Amino acid sequence: MADKKKRRRPDSDSDSASQPFKNLLKSDDQILQILESFTSSFSSSSTSKPLTLADLALSTTCREVSDLSLSSVQSAIESLVLQLTHQILSGQGFSFTIPSRSSSNQLYVPELDRIVLKDKSTVRPFSHISSVRKTTITAKILSLVHQLCLKNIHVTKRDLFYTDVKLFQDQIQSDAVLDDVSCMLGCTRSSLNVIAAEKGVVVGRLIFSDNGDMIDCTKMGMGGKAIPPNIDRVGDMQSDALFILLVEKDAAYIRLAEDRFYNRFPCIIVTAKGQPDVATRLFLRKMKMELKLPVLALVDSDPYGLKILSVYGCGSKNMSYDSANLTTPDIKWLGIRPSDLDKYKIPEQCRLPMTEQDIKTGKDLLEEDFVKKNPGWVEELNLMVKTKQKAEIQALSSFGFQYLSEVYLPLKLQQQDWL
Amino acid sequence: MESESPVETKKSKSKTPKKAKESILKQKSPAEFFAENKNIAGFDNPGKCLYTTVREFVENALDSAESISELPMIEITIEEIVKSKFNSMIGLVDRERIDEALYDDYETAKAREKRLAKEARAQEIQAKNAALGKKVKEHAISKGAKSRGEASFYRVTCKDNGRGMPHDDIPNMFGRVLSGTKYGLKQTRGKFGLGAKMALIWSKMSTGLPIDISSSMRGQNYISFCRLDIDIHRNVPHIHLHEKRDNKNKWHGAEIQVVIEGNWTTYRSKILHYMRQMAVITPYAQFLFKFVSDTSDKNVTIKFARRTDVMPPVPVETKHHPSSVDILLIKRLIAETSKQNLLQFLQHEFVNIGKPLAERLIGEMGPEFSPKMAVKSLTDQQIVRIHQLFRQAKFDDPSGDCLSPAGEYNLRLGIIKELHPDMVATYSGSAQVFEGHPFIVEAGVSVGGKDVKQGLNIFRFANRIPLLFEQGGDVVTRTALKRISWNNYKINQTQDKIGVFVSIVSTKIPFKGTGKEYIGDDISEIATAVKSAIQQCCIQLKSKIVKKMQAREQQERKRNLSKYIPDATNAVYDVLKEMAKSNSSKKKRYEEGDADILRKVSDHLITKETLTEKLTQHVEKVDYEMALEYATQTGVREEPREDIYLQSLDDKDAESVICMNHDAL
Repeated sequence: MADKKKRRRPDSDSDSASQPFKNLLKSDDQILQILESFTSSFSSSSTSKPLTLADLALSTTCREVSDLSLSSVQSAIESLVLQLTHQILSGQGFSFTIPSRSSSNQLYVPELDRIVLKDKSTVRPFSHISSVRKTTITAKILSLVHQLCLKNIHVTKRDLFYTDVKLFQDQIQSDAVLDDVSCMLGCTRSSLNVIAAEKGVVVGRLIFSDNGDMIDCTKMGMGGKAIPPNIDRVGDMQSDALFILLVEKDAAYIRLAEDRFYNRFPCIIVTAKGQPDVATRLFLRKMKMELKLPVLALVDSDPYGLKILSVYGCGSKNMSYDSANLTTPDIKWLGIRPSDLDKYKIPEQCRLPMTEQDIKTGKDLLEEDFVKKNPGWVEELNLMVKTKQKAEIQALSSFGFQYLSEVYLPLKLQQQDWL
Repeated sequence: MESESPVETKKSKSKTPKKAKESILKQKSPAEFFAENKNIAGFDNPGKCLYTTVREFVENALDSAESISELPMIEITIEEIVKSKFNSMIGLVDRERIDEALYDDYETAKAREKRLAKEARAQEIQAKNAALGKKVKEHAISKGAKSRGEASFYRVTCKDNGRGMPHDDIPNMFGRVLSGTKYGLKQTRGKFGLGAKMALIWSKMSTGLPIDISSSMRGQNYISFCRLDIDIHRNVPHIHLHEKRDNKNKWHGAEIQVVIEGNWTTYRSKILHYMRQMAVITPYAQFLFKFVSDTSDKNVTIKFARRTDVMPPVPVETKHHPSSVDILLIKRLIAETSKQNLLQFLQHEFVNIGKPLAERLIGEMGPEFSPKMAVKSLTDQQIVRIHQLFRQAKFDDPSGDCLSPAGEYNLRLGIIKELHPDMVATYSGSAQVFEGHPFIVEAGVSVGGKDVKQGLNIFRFANRIPLLFEQGGDVVTRTALKRISWNNYKINQTQDKIGVFVSIVSTKIPFKGTGKEYIGDDISEIATAVKSAIQQCCIQLKSKIVKKMQAREQQERKRNLSKYIPDATNAVYDVLKEMAKSNSSKKKRYEEGDADILRKVSDHLITKETLTEKLTQHVEKVDYEMALEYATQTGVREEPREDIYLQSLDDKDAESVICMNHDAL
């Protein structure tokens, strides 16, 4: 793997006054030992097979999609179109029956620790003024996906939108219908051969094959490797990392990548630059499942940071039909946690007052099941709502730009301070 | 800013020794104070002065007519007086300029060159446009900026049919600042007795001409005529002429005439807006507005005809609410009261204190108080104690009986007249309380109309006078803009033409700033009441809008559905075609029924047209069924009818109805 001494550790006697708590740090070897023992205990405990809906006897009342081959997607579309043709020829117009993805049709299953879709469906008839547009768009998307199947190519969501801008009007509409279609056909969105543009990046101690090419993520320069949009072409993952570090923000990611944090503490660093896209979530899940590494999350200390964490962990409502493939169980909340603000004496000028909207979001989150199941999170969130203060990861830069990589994270790891 | 400060200190340092004369204790009369700070009363600049003068006269006239329950009839005339005429009026000889370069507006040779070049260029462009056949815009005659000397003067006359004034009181009513009849606790338009006096002070400052007042009271057989100005230093009237004249027409009311400096060009629209909105909120009044000048194309005559003879009741004077008084006020009430002992004083000088409550209050005040003690003997400490108790004790809210809101009917009439909206809803809230003063909020919301601009058009009224300035900070504007989610009521805030009318009446309107120009947004009681009144209107509108949308949907359903037929059939047919291909080439096997269809597709028995036709038929069928259902559901509905007011067509009114001319705006 990469040369461990690409970047020398700065001298330990550098000014500890400007970087508080630095004197608490033990040597890297000691921290590594702590981490190794944690990782080994973790991988042994997580060998059990993950539960599925069928295990809970929920498969009848909940809907879930699976990866389908191109030919089965094609025949699913074809039989649907034949049905439509029959309907039209008999003079009844036509309609689709589409699983509802509204929030009332979502269910959090604590045993699975993710959101799943219930079985409610809505009928989308052509001959109704409120649904005629969506029905037409659905038919159009079906025919487009059918073409993709015949030609066996991948296109992006943007490509799809541009095939008929006049009908779709804006991309939000074609994207939403695309999710409807994959839900209706019972397949994942990637099985439709439609991908989203690359958003996530990964850097660190990871080697994998992307469409046949071997990628070494320690040798991808500072920016790291963009996470490939089609996960089915990713394989052969190898790593000597001890953990996966999930970072919310691009800025923190760049800091860690440039400081080669993964060489000091062997790890894989991932970010989706804000709300995670499907590809990043699939990739994270794949890493976690194949490498059996603990995932530690570094997000902002605000309600949205926790929300992003929850999307990685339990899935988003929009994509709950595929939560089985998209979620990564057991993500640990490393920081920045509301309690860290005082613990690390983050100065007042770096904290921001929460807006009314923030506080409302925070209170709403407290009602969510995925927060409630973790008493530590509830406590932190309560603290946030009570103090009405938030802080971004960048608040740590007030102690110097490298405080994050040189003091904060090592100390957190040493103390195993995650929830 | 910072760089300036040292200079300033330096300056002041150098100046202080010079200025160090011993300061003399001077006293200022109220009139002097207001002359120096005339912006407090809305006399900021000549234009605003003209506006405020008109406004004060109109409001006084309305108050006066309403106080005797007479339907107001008010004539306002503004007469432009050019400089030469003004000079001859005051007996000054017009002098020609001799030394041109002495004057501020003197054009140097260089400036003239520049101007001529510019004009030539403009002409060239215009000629080019004309040659190209473009519609030539009337080139605005470049008005040279008015130089300092070029003031315009106006004679403002206001005639009403109100109460009039007692002959002997007239000098004091106009020639003494801060004397007035409206100091009681009562909903009135004016408050401080400043308006007409300020107009007089301004006329004295700008033209030096006195004010002319004619007045007669009901049943008086003479007209009092008074010409006076004000001695600003002593705050006393200075009477030129005070006499009784014949009253042949049995007229009662007042006519006031004043000559002031003003600016009609810049404040024309404000004054007209004011008149128009005044007519909205007082539809029972008749206004005749005239602007007269030498150039006849500038003349304006607008008659705002009376649209109803229903007049809101005269607001009654009320007593103070215990939670709204301060120590000074308690002392004044004690000085003025005719009651002997404390119990009677509490009982009769305040609202919402009955005998039992008064007794309980006295008991609570402490041992040195007793019901029978003489109220005039209360010490200062005891008065403070009473004040403290008034602050803390719980009293019933004052009732809104003493208020006289415009009324939903009047508001509605005004909106319909003003905007000709497609839809209008009005709401009148119940009385609420702010710092012991009752207030009532009424609102009207309209959608659509002619000559209404898109978005929110806000009309604000306080104690039935329109508020035109400082729109941005006003509680109504802010509420309408920020706290109403118009979308919820199917109203599009940017696209629809929305009219929002809010009228607030109270015994004390908490105006912000110096002039009576806006109500602050920091009083939560008023903000909440305004919000809920607007919301109530919106709720009424929503059901109307939804009905309208349904009706429109009915009409457009077929077209909207048919629009999508080509796209839908194309999508389905594209897939069918591909399937038919693979079916005929035997790449894939299909079930018998499906294979049959695919064969027909290959043989062109089922084409795109077949699908389109079938779908069109289906849409027509659905449309027919739904139209039938809609018709049976809605049935025949009748809107409730409203009374309309028809103006009597006797004698001189007949002509006035015909010359009614609201398009002039």
